Amino acid sequence: MSAWLIAALALLPALIVGVVSAARGAAARRLVAIQFATSIAVLLLVVLDFAFDQPSSMDLALTLALLSLPGTLVLALFQERWL
Amino acid sequence: MNLAIDALLAFAVLMTWIGVLAFLRLRTNFERLHVITFVNIVAGAAITAAAVLHDGSSGRTFKCIFIWLVIATAGALLSHATSRALHLREGERR
Repeated sequence: MSAWLIAALALLPALIVGVVSAARGAAARRLVAIQFATSIAVLLLVVLDFAFDQPSSMDLALTLALLSLPGTLVLALFQERWL
Repeated sequence: MNLAIDALLAFAVLMTWIGVLAFLRLRTNFERLHVITFVNIVAGAAITAAAVLHDGSSGRTFKCIFIWLVIATAGALLSHATSRALHLREGERR
């Protein structure tokens, strides 16, 4: 088992904590938890890319990193005006 | 070289877990936003450094560096937008 795979397995519970936090509590806390879970998910995808030695899957991490910007901005706008 | 990669990955995982504990421990959402920045910058830098040591100069490494730059800059913007939204919303409720 490579160090990359061990690191990915060690990051997985951290992602679960972020996802569970995003599913509970007030809307404001959920918004912050979604940001936190997204950050960990990007790091996890990068580590998984090296663990399974699949260079093309780095695009998944890149896409998630780029899409988190408009996605979280829309959520922040909803939080500010309606939620 | 392998030892340095292992150490960097262990450091990244440790920093992420410190971030998780801080996220659960801190009380306000404004404080929690600092944790996100900490994980983005510190753990992201460690994983990027490990990727550079592992691959050297390759397309995958440059994508990894680009991802780190994106999450660092977008993270700052998102923290500002989120804290502004939370601040306005909490101001309305008072």
